[in-house]
Amino acid sequence: MFTPRKFWHPYVSPFDPCKPILVKSYSTPPSLYIQVQPPNLPQFDPHTALCKGTLWPLYYDPYHGPVEGKHPEVER
Amino acid sequence: MSKQMPDEYYQLLHDLQTVDFVLVELNLYLNTHPHDRKAIEQFNFYAQKKQVLKQQFDAKFGPLQGFGNSYSRAPFEWGDAPWPWQV
Repeated sequence: MFTPRKFWHPYVSPFDPCKPILVKSYSTPPSLYIQVQPPNLPQFDPHTALCKGTLWPLYYDPYHGPVEGKHPEVER
Repeated sequence: MSKQMPDEYYQLLHDLQTVDFVLVELNLYLNTHPHDRKAIEQFNFYAQKKQVLKQQFDAKFGPLQGFGNSYSRAPFEWGDAPWPWQV
């Protein structure tokens, strides 16, 4: 199933000296789920493409940094 | 030393960067889809656009590229700041 980010809950030791990270995540960009790029895909206009980092919306993988804000599904 | 360039300088550079990005994307796509005529047409359209933009920029603000890929007026303009990485 396509989601740009996947999450798992690592084991937390009762003796963990640090504050445990309950949920960890990793990126699964759209290109993982598309074998060969289909022709005639819809495109961004050139200026948007430069900003998004891809010409095709299908391949756009948002980066959730300080500007874009936290991923909606990430807790804490 | 700082020198404020006119707005058109930044506008032209931004347009060039935009067109260059589209060309990179289409180039990569065409490597795996060499028979996609529509994409080739689009590629050539932007290649043409790039030439026009580059000539405009060269004529107004001096050479973008060295070694004969851009013209220069006298005195030789290649060394004039700002250089692309200083913008």
